[in-house]
Amino acid sequence: MSTATLEAPAKSPMSTSVSETPARTRATNRTIKVSIKRQASPESKAATETFEIPYRPNMNITSLLGEIALNPTTVTGVDTTPISYDANCLEEICGSCAMLINGKAMMACSALVDKLMGPNGDGAITLAPLSKFPVVRDLAVDRSVLFENLKKVKAWVPIDGTYDLGPAPRQFPQVQEQRYPLSNCISCTICMEVCPQFNEATGFVGAATIAQAKLFNMDPAGAVLKPDRLRALAGDGGVQECSFSQNCVQACPKQLPLTEAISDMGRDVFVQQVKDFFTR
Amino acid sequence: MATAAPPAPASNPTLRGVQPLRAGQGHSYFWRRLHSLTGLIPIGGFLIEHILSNYEAVNGPLAYAQQVKFLNGLPLVRVLEWAFIFIPLLYHALYGVFIAIRGRSNVNVYPWAGNWSYYMQRVTGYIAFAYIVQHVWRQRFSGVSLPEHPGAAFAKVQHELHNPWMLAIYVIAMVATCWHFAYGVWLFAAKWGITPGEKARRNFGYACAAVGTGLCALGLVGMYAFINPKYANAPADVMPEQQPGIVLPAPSVAPPNSVNPSAAIRN
Repeated sequence: MSTATLEAPAKSPMSTSVSETPARTRATNRTIKVSIKRQASPESKAATETFEIPYRPNMNITSLLGEIALNPTTVTGVDTTPISYDANCLEEICGSCAMLINGKAMMACSALVDKLMGPNGDGAITLAPLSKFPVVRDLAVDRSVLFENLKKVKAWVPIDGTYDLGPAPRQFPQVQEQRYPLSNCISCTICMEVCPQFNEATGFVGAATIAQAKLFNMDPAGAVLKPDRLRALAGDGGVQECSFSQNCVQACPKQLPLTEAISDMGRDVFVQQVKDFFTR
Repeated sequence: MATAAPPAPASNPTLRGVQPLRAGQGHSYFWRRLHSLTGLIPIGGFLIEHILSNYEAVNGPLAYAQQVKFLNGLPLVRVLEWAFIFIPLLYHALYGVFIAIRGRSNVNVYPWAGNWSYYMQRVTGYIAFAYIVQHVWRQRFSGVSLPEHPGAAFAKVQHELHNPWMLAIYVIAMVATCWHFAYGVWLFAAKWGITPGEKARRNFGYACAAVGTGLCALGLVGMYAFINPKYANAPADVMPEQQPGIVLPAPSVAPPNSVNPSAAIRN
């Protein structure tokens, strides 16, 4: 491929790859092998299909899936359908393309093929849907449990009234600085996927929702719903189900301080429960 | 505005997979937090007391017997034993198993330190549970009864540890229990919001590791006293039988081979 030889030597300052091995810059007949766990509908059985894509440097998983869509033929020459998956922004901000890449939960847009192929650049890549959410089709899963959870903890600022409520209370920059990292959540559900406690037996709410409850509790206007949020988080599947494996904070693609949020909410929920016990 | 309220949105009857939070419902919060608390108070407190008491064995069978006699002479000792040891321990163990079987450990996929600790907390919990069941049965509820015969305590443990397999079980259980306790204290502080910050959690982790290692070392040294050659073949009983409500003094002349010989040389 001529594009490969043209692109590879150009090292822009934006490039994150530190050193391109000579093997990678050479335009050869290298291919990318990718095995994808597919299923046509929520009820149908899953099966794995393998594809072989001509190598191009600096690909991500989304562009790889795009290549397959251009020519959806498996490695054995069987014509098949393009892969279904959720994607939107392609820059790790919409949170829709989370999937299991080489067995680990990652965002398809920020997962780089060159890294995933291993040090020798010949490793096969496996893709599968997130394992803890119902599959819709192929790599697309139904993550509405997160939306339901956010509604349960009232993760919003109540500003609707029948009249003008006036300007919001002042928010100090110190509070803003604490809140900002939490506002980076993209609802990708990776924190829930990697959590050993998030499963059908516990019905654990997951780190993202707990962090959002903290975000809105710290909002000067949103704090009015703080007791409601804390009571919700003491329900079955609430903050108590966290066993602090800390996988959430390790896996979060946006580096949210999730364990800190869980710890803080653990204290606030406890204080609220004690207060309710004596005063309600 | 007279129209009927809009129909409530369907509460996702088709939502499969993990169910949403049951906001404000159920009592698992109380039971889970109680489990966390009982691990510290009273069980953690008892673990420390137990290891410190056992360390008295370093000073010989008579000193060990004195410690056993002192503990069994505490007011309402049988009430204390059930209310602060057996019942909390049984609750912590059974609810702990309930927690463990509902978790889906994935340390094979995500081999991170915190995830390993999550896994090990469950493994050490199972080890401690299995060990404590046999330990309580064999040392407290079968064989010679130590509340009435504190003088027989040293020999009873010595006979137990005479079996190398049993000794190995005791060592493994000591390490597992201390790990479970030390990490449990760390978890307690993290979950109850005492150490929310990353730095606070890391520093407290070092503190817990130091305390856990120290406790384990103390326990193992205390355990060594029973297999220490200088107390080989300890007398079967070094004290008069204790009557209910009366704590009889130790014999004024210590029975042979019942005191620390190195301490005796000093005198």
